[in-house]
Amino acid sequence: MNEPVSRFGSARTIGRGMRVAPALSNGIALTFLFAFIGTGARLVIPILIQQSIDHGLQPGNIRVSYIAVLGLIGSGFVLVSSLSLRVATKRLGTRAEEGLFTLRIKLFDHIHRLSLADHNDEKRGALVSRVTSDIETLTMFFSWGGLSLLLDGSQMIAVASVMLAYDWRLALVAFAVSAPLVLVLRLVQSRLVYAHNISRERNAQLLGVFSEMVSGAETLHAYKATDLMITSVAKDVRNRGDSNIRAGIIGAFLFPSGEVFAVFTVMAVVGAGLLIGPAGGLTAGALVGFVFLTYRFLEPIAEFTEVIDQTQSAVASLRRVLGVLDTPIGPPQPSHPIALPAGVLSIDFVDVSFAYGSRLDEVDDDTPVLNSINLHIPGGQHIALVGPSGSGKTTVARLIARLADPTVGSVMLGGVALHRVDNSDLRRRLIVVPQEPFLFADTIAYNLRFAAPDATDNELTNVFSDLEIEDWLESLPHGINTNVGQRGGSLSAGERQLIALVRAAVVRPDVLILDEATSSVDALTEVRISKALSKLAQGRTTVSIAHRLSTAARAERVVLLEQGRIVEDGSHEQLLALKGQYAKQYETWVTSTQSNLGS
Amino acid sequence: MSHTETAVQSPSKSRLRVGYGLVRDLLKIHPKIFAIAVAGASVYAVCTVASSFGVAYLVDHVILPRFETGKIDAGVYLVGAAIVICIGLLRAFGVVIRRSFAGISNWRTVESISMQLVRHIMSQPLFWHKRKMTGDLVARVGVDSDAAAEVLGPLPFSTSVVLLVFLTGGWLLIVDVPLGLVAISVIPILLVLNVGYQRRIDKHYDTAQHELGSLSSAVHESFDGVMVVKAFGAEDRETRRLSVISTRLKEARIRAVSARSTFEALLDGVPSLVNILLLVVGAMRVDSNSMSVGELTSFIYLFTLLIFPLRIIGYVLSSVPHSASGYKRVREILDESVELDPQTLILESSANCGVRLEGVSFGFGKDLPDVLNDVTFEIAVGKTVVIVGATGSGKSTLLSVMAGLLQPNHGNVWIANRSAAIVFQEPFLFSGTIRHNIDMGRALSDSVMHDSLYLAAADEFVSALDDGVNTVIGERGISLSGGQRQRISLARAIAQQSSVLLLDDTTSALDTVTESLVIDRLRHSKNIVTTIIVASRPSTIALADEVIFIENGQVSDQGIHANLMVRNENYRLLMQSFEHDREQGGL
Repeated sequence: MNEPVSRFGSARTIGRGMRVAPALSNGIALTFLFAFIGTGARLVIPILIQQSIDHGLQPGNIRVSYIAVLGLIGSGFVLVSSLSLRVATKRLGTRAEEGLFTLRIKLFDHIHRLSLADHNDEKRGALVSRVTSDIETLTMFFSWGGLSLLLDGSQMIAVASVMLAYDWRLALVAFAVSAPLVLVLRLVQSRLVYAHNISRERNAQLLGVFSEMVSGAETLHAYKATDLMITSVAKDVRNRGDSNIRAGIIGAFLFPSGEVFAVFTVMAVVGAGLLIGPAGGLTAGALVGFVFLTYRFLEPIAEFTEVIDQTQSAVASLRRVLGVLDTPIGPPQPSHPIALPAGVLSIDFVDVSFAYGSRLDEVDDDTPVLNSINLHIPGGQHIALVGPSGSGKTTVARLIARLADPTVGSVMLGGVALHRVDNSDLRRRLIVVPQEPFLFADTIAYNLRFAAPDATDNELTNVFSDLEIEDWLESLPHGINTNVGQRGGSLSAGERQLIALVRAAVVRPDVLILDEATSSVDALTEVRISKALSKLAQGRTTVSIAHRLSTAARAERVVLLEQGRIVEDGSHEQLLALKGQYAKQYETWVTSTQSNLGS
Repeated sequence: MSHTETAVQSPSKSRLRVGYGLVRDLLKIHPKIFAIAVAGASVYAVCTVASSFGVAYLVDHVILPRFETGKIDAGVYLVGAAIVICIGLLRAFGVVIRRSFAGISNWRTVESISMQLVRHIMSQPLFWHKRKMTGDLVARVGVDSDAAAEVLGPLPFSTSVVLLVFLTGGWLLIVDVPLGLVAISVIPILLVLNVGYQRRIDKHYDTAQHELGSLSSAVHESFDGVMVVKAFGAEDRETRRLSVISTRLKEARIRAVSARSTFEALLDGVPSLVNILLLVVGAMRVDSNSMSVGELTSFIYLFTLLIFPLRIIGYVLSSVPHSASGYKRVREILDESVELDPQTLILESSANCGVRLEGVSFGFGKDLPDVLNDVTFEIAVGKTVVIVGATGSGKSTLLSVMAGLLQPNHGNVWIANRSAAIVFQEPFLFSGTIRHNIDMGRALSDSVMHDSLYLAAADEFVSALDDGVNTVIGERGISLSGGQRQRISLARAIAQQSSVLLLDDTTSALDTVTESLVIDRLRHSKNIVTTIIVASRPSTIALADEVIFIENGQVSDQGIHANLMVRNENYRLLMQSFEHDREQGGL
C-alpha cells in the first residue's frame, strides 16, 4: 500500500475492509434481496386497507369473502416476508461475526510481529484498543446500525414506490412536507452528538477523580482533607449528571419530531387528496392507505439518520484497524536462511547505527541511539555493558537478539548476518532475560513452558536443581504449580527474576542476554540470583547490561557506552588503570558509600 | 435508605420481586421528578388512543363522504385536521416530558447514590481502605452506581405501555366486543413473546460479554508480554491461543444473532397477521352494521401504534437484572458500618517529649503474624531520629501507627500536641496546582507557603516554573521528577505546621546534597519539630541525632549510630548490606 489508509475516503476504506475480511461482503446482494422481501410485510396492511375500502367495504356492498381472500393472500405474504427477514438478519449477523473474527485474528498476528519500536508503552494501549474497542464498534455497527441501514433503507424504498404507484401527486406532497424533517433531524443529531461527547468526556473525567480519591485515600486521611475531597467530588458528580441530562433532553426532542412531521404530512396528504378527489382518479381506499403509508415512510427516518453517525464512527474504526495492518512488521524473515554454526557463538557489530523510527503515529523521532558501533565478542566471553541511561546499552542487547534491525551496518552471530538467520533458529540459540521479566498470570510451569511447550514437570524441576535453586522451589506452596498472579504480582521482584532465569535455562541457549534489575532485592534472593546467574552463564556467550558497578567488576570484559558510542573497552582492571570515565565513576562510588558511614 | 433493606440481596427471589425492591428503594430518592416523567408518559398514552378517534372521524366524516358524494366540507376537514394535529402535538409534548424527566430522575439518583458512597468511603479509616482493592472501589462508585439507577430511565416508558394497553383494551371493548377481544387476546401473547425472547437473548449476550472480557484481558496480557513472546518465538502460539477465545466469542455472538433473527421475524410477522385478522373480523362487523368503516380503520391504526411500544418493552425489562446487580454491589459498601478513626486514640505527650510509644503491637489480621510487637520508645522534642531495619521489619507500619492511620491492637501512642504529619514513601500528588497539593484546600498565608517550600528545598525549582506554585501538575499539566514530587509532598507535610514530622524513606529520591540540605533546614527551622525518618541510605542515617533499630517488629536498639556500630552485630551487618551494591555510582 503506497497511500496510507488514513487518507482513504469512506468507500475505499470499506472496500479495503471487505478485501481483508471477505466474509463481510460475501453474498451481500442476496442478503439485501432477502431484506427487501422481508420489509414487504410492513406494506401488507396499507395495501389491504386500500383494497378493502375500494372493493370490499363500499356502503351497501360489504364483501366479507372478498376481504377474507385478500386476508389469506396477505397472510401468506407476511409469512414469506417474515421468513425472509429472518434469513436476512441471520445472514448479515453471521457474516459480520465471521468477517470481524478474521479481522481480529489478522490483527493479533500482525501486532505480535510488529517491531518493538511499535510496541512501546505509549502505543500498547492503542494496539489493545484496535483489537478490542475498534472491533467492538464494528460489531455494534453490524448488529444495530448495519441492520437498520439494510431494513430501514429497504422499507423506505418499498413504501415510496407504493406511494408513487398509488398517486404520484400525493406522494410528492408527502415527500415535500416531510423533507424538512431531515434537516431538523440533522440539526438535533449534531447537537446530540456534541452533547454525548461532552458527557463521555465528563464521565471519563469523573472516573479519574474517583480513582484519585480512592488511591489517594492514605494521603487524604493523613491530611484530614476528606471533607474537601467530598466537596470537590460533589461538583464533578453534579457536572457529569448535568451533561448527561442535557444530552437526554436533546434526545427527548429527537424521537417525537418524526411523529410531529407525520401528523402534518398526513393532514396535508388528506387535504390534497380531498382536492384531487375521484375526478383526479383517486379512490377513498388509496387515500386512507396513504395515511398508513405516510406513517410507514416516516417511521424509520429518525433511526436512519442516527445510523449515519454510527456509520461514520464504524468507518473510522475500520480505518484505524486497517492502518495497523498496513504498519510494516518487525525484522522480516529471510527468504533463504543460513543455519547458525553449532557450538558457542561469537557476536560482531560492524559499523552499526540505529534510530527508533516510529510508524504507528505521525511523529518522527529519528535521533540516533547508536552511532557506528564496532564490537567483537568472542564465543563464550562474559561481557558487561555499562553507561548512563540513554547511552544505548539496551539497544545493543536488542539488536543482538534481533528484536530490531540496525538502521545502518550489520550484526552477526557466529559469523552469520542476523537478517539471514531463521527466526526460530535464532530463538533456540539466544535468550533475553529482560530487566522487568514479564510473567503470565498462570502457574510457574505455564510460564516455563512458554520457552519449551513440550517439557515434562520433571524436566522443569531438574532445571531448578541445575541452577542450584531447588531449595527455593521447595519453599513455594505448590512448587512449579504455584500461581504467580497477574504480571507475576504474587512473587517479589527478585523471585520473578529467578523464574526468568529458569525460563532462559530451559532453552539451553548458546547466547544469553541479561538486563540486570535495578530494583532492590532481599539478601537471600540476591544470593540465589547470582548463584543461578553464574551457573547459567557457564560455557555461554553472555552479555549483561549492568546497572551496578559490582556486576561490571565481576565480568570478564567491560564496555562503557556514552551517547551511542563505545568510549572505553577492556577488563575491569584495565579500565581502572586507564583512569578514564569508568575509573572515575568507580572511585566516587567506592568513596561515597564508605565516607558517609565514617562521619 | 436504611441499612436494613435487603430487598435485592437474595438471589432466590424472582426477577419481578427483585425489580420491585430495587425500584422502591430508588424511587424514594427523588420521587417528584419521577412523578413528572410518569405524568408525561400518561399524556402520551392518552393521546395515542385519542389520535385514533381523529382517524375514525376523518375517514367517516371527511374522506368517505368526499368520494361518495363528491362534496368537500372545508369546515369539517379543518376541524378534523386541527384536532388530529393538536393531539399529535400534545402526544409529542408528553414524550418530551417523559424522556427529559426520566433522564433527570435517572441521573439525579445516580448523583445521590454516588455521593452517598463517596461520603461513606471517605469516612472509613485507612485500615478499611487497605483491605479493599482500589479498582473494585472505583468500579463501585463510578460504574455500579450508574448501573443501579439505570432502570429508572426506561421505567416511565414501561408505565405508559401498561396504561396504553389498558386504555386501548378498554376502548376497543367499549366500541366493539368481538373485535376488542381479538386485539386484547394478542397483547399478552406479544408481551410474553417479548419477555421470553429478551431473557433468552440476554443469556447469549451475557456469555458473549463474558468471552469478550476474557479476550480483552488475554489481549492485554499478550501485548504486555510481547518481549517474552518475541524472545521465545511464540508469536504463532499466542495468536492461536487468542483465536481460541475469539472463536468462543464469535460462536456466542452467532448464537445470539440466530435467536435474535427468529424473534425479530416473529415480532414483525405476528402483529401483521393479527392486523389482517382484525380487518377480516372488522369487515364482518361492518357488514352487520355494528361499526363504521372509520372505526375499523382507527382500530387498525391504533393497533399499528401499539406494536412499537410492545416490541421494545422486553428490552426495557432487560435492564432490571443489570441494575439489581449494580445496586447490590453499591449496598455492600453502604451496609458496612463506619469503623473507628484511630486518629482519635492518639494521646497528647507531656512537655519535652516529641513522641512516645508504649507496648504498641499491630497485626493486619487475626491469622497473620504481628507486624509490630510490644514497641516502646521515647523521643525528645526537636530531635531528628532515623528508624532503621531490614525490608519487612515493620518500619512503615510503625510510622503509620504514629500518624494515627492504623490502630494498634495493644499499647498507646503519645504525640506532641497530637499533631503529626506523615510523608509516604510513594508521594501521592493530586492533579491540580502545586499550591492545591500543598494547602490541600485550606487557605495558607504566603509566608507559610514560602517557608514550607524552602524547608523542603522545593523553592528553587518551583519558582523556576512559569506559573510558580500555580503550575498545574498531573495528567493535564506538567510532570515532575520523582525527587521533585517527594519535595512537594514534604512541603505539604511541613505546611501542616505539625509538631512531629514522619518521613517514610522520603528523601531517598533526592541526591545526597539535597537530602542533607533538607534535613539541615528542618533541624534549624524556627518551629521546634521532632523529625522521624525511615531510612535505608547510609548518608541519611549519618545525618540523624539518634537511631532506632527495628528487628522483626521490635525495637532491638536505640542510640547514636557510631555506638550501635560498635555494640550491635546485626546493625553492623545491615549497614554493610546497605553499603554493598546500594549506590549505583551515578553510572
